[in-house]
Amino acid sequence: MEKDQNSSVKPVPVIELRHVDKHFGQLHVLKDINLQVKKGEVVVVIGPSGSGKSTLCRTMNRLEPIDSGEILIDGEVIPEEGRELARLRAKVGMVFQSFNLFAHKTILDNVTMGPVEVLRKSKKEARQEAMELLKRVGVDSQASKVPAQLSGGQQQRVAIARSLAMHPKAILFDEPTSALDPEMIGEVLEVMTRLASEGMTMVVVTHEMNFARRVAHRVLFMDGGSILEENTPEEFFTNPRTQRARDFLNSIQNH
Amino acid sequence: MSGKVMTAKDALYEPPGPRTKKKILIGTVLSLLSFAFLLALMIRRFYLTGQLDPKYWFFFGRLSTWRFIAKGLIGTVEAAFAAGAMAFAAGFAMMLGRIGKSRFLRFAATVLVDFTRGVPTLLFIYFFFLVVPQFGWKLSAFWKITLPVAISASGLVAEQLRSGVNAVPKGQREAALSIGMTDRQTFYRVIFPQAIRYVIPSLIAEMVIVFKDTTFAYVVNFPDLMQNAKVLISNYDALLSIYLVVAVIYILINYSLNRLSTKAEKLLSGKQKQGS
Ligand SMILES: Nc1ncnc2c1ncn2[C@@H]1O[C@H](COP(=O)(O)OP(=O)(O)OP(=O)(O)O)[C@@H](O)[C@H]1O
Ligand SMILES: [Mg+2]
Repeated sequence: MEKDQNSSVKPVPVIELRHVDKHFGQLHVLKDINLQVKKGEVVVVIGPSGSGKSTLCRTMNRLEPIDSGEILIDGEVIPEEGRELARLRAKVGMVFQSFNLFAHKTILDNVTMGPVEVLRKSKKEARQEAMELLKRVGVDSQASKVPAQLSGGQQQRVAIARSLAMHPKAILFDEPTSALDPEMIGEVLEVMTRLASEGMTMVVVTHEMNFARRVAHRVLFMDGGSILEENTPEEFFTNPRTQRARDFLNSIQNH
Repeated sequence: MSGKVMTAKDALYEPPGPRTKKKILIGTVLSLLSFAFLLALMIRRFYLTGQLDPKYWFFFGRLSTWRFIAKGLIGTVEAAFAAGAMAFAAGFAMMLGRIGKSRFLRFAATVLVDFTRGVPTLLFIYFFFLVVPQFGWKLSAFWKITLPVAISASGLVAEQLRSGVNAVPKGQREAALSIGMTDRQTFYRVIFPQAIRYVIPSLIAEMVIVFKDTTFAYVVNFPDLMQNAKVLISNYDALLSIYLVVAVIYILINYSLNRLSTKAEKLLSGKQKQGS
């Protein structure tokens, strides 16, 4: 499927949106979104509340259906349903604001669930790899507990490990630190920063401007369902092109 | 009977403080006193009407009587568990229909749920007792009681299961889908295992109704506790004494089911919260 660069074709973007439109009833939440996320790229999405950031994120693995347009993962169009959809979803991890760890499973089983059920790996192999991943995010000592026994920061790091266990092509983060106490935000951002430096393709919706400045390759500014501005972080934070972006940055700096 | 059941369950939801403990103590003493008073009243009444006469009680000294009662009890337990299992299977299927994607199945399941919940058990029993045999379908007494009782309970079970499924947070489903699980895997691996934990207590409580419904077994001549009690009554011409003993047995069964339900509830909610 993946031919790579040696045939001198342009590399296929990991995630691509073409003319994506979506409504919630009367509300036009996504307006003709066009976007390419390249391999190894970290794209940060910012914008005021209700601008459609979460919806954008969730359409990328079709947790939200779209009205028109196309979404491609690794060059393949995501279908509306069925096994093929599940197969493509497995290629894109997702980390939620509310962690969403499987409440009835231990931490270890949370991480092995995907590899065992979806990738059909043996339990033993999946466990071994899960323990390594848990170590990487620093929660291996909690492996036999259940999610409710962990702090929010620990749970979110487990959620990241759960995504990584699927060897995804990209990971989507929808405000991964918004439900966390200030002390825990740092530990999660640290894991994310390391992932980025290891070359993971990431789309991150966040209000953590320092993270965006340090880690993003590209910043998208959304408002009213459109991507109003696409810029490098340096440019965006020092010299935003649109008035709305300027207003938004002012409003968050003042508070 | 059912009033006692309710209060026992409700009181155990929150750990009582010292004040509540005092209130509970006073309440217990008061209800015990009034219970003793009623009992005394009843015994007096029995005495006055001659119900305490040995001729109404002597056969309880015989092993054969108890053996006969035990046989009936076993019949009741067998019928109730068979009906309970079938009600669970049918209720599960109806629940799948109600939450499924097919419009037709959703409609059909909804009709079934409302129908089975709305029609009294006795009517289903008469259906299997009087109508079904006319079509040449010979059923044993066991099935004539268990099938209607199961059908009657299935709609309730379906609704309980569905409420459990709806109680599972939406994020659980999204997380499962996002790691590439199919709808099927998501349901059976993530949603249902959590849903069943929420509703096990109410499913156990539902068994109380199933047990009570099996007392209709006399209609189809199935030898359950009630039917055997009736036989004893006609043999010894003793009504009150036998019904009293049988009632105590039913109360004990239902009381233990309710205890089990409360216990399961504590255990399961504790498990999901602390995991140990
Ligand atoms: N399931 C839904 N049904 C109807 N409207 C919805 C639904 N989900 C979101 N919306 C609406 O769509 C708009 C965009 O929502 P979205 O969650 O994408 O915004 P957001 O940019 O992520 O905001 P926030 O920063 O508050 O998370 C909002 O006006 C929201 O009320
Ligand atoms: Mg959002």
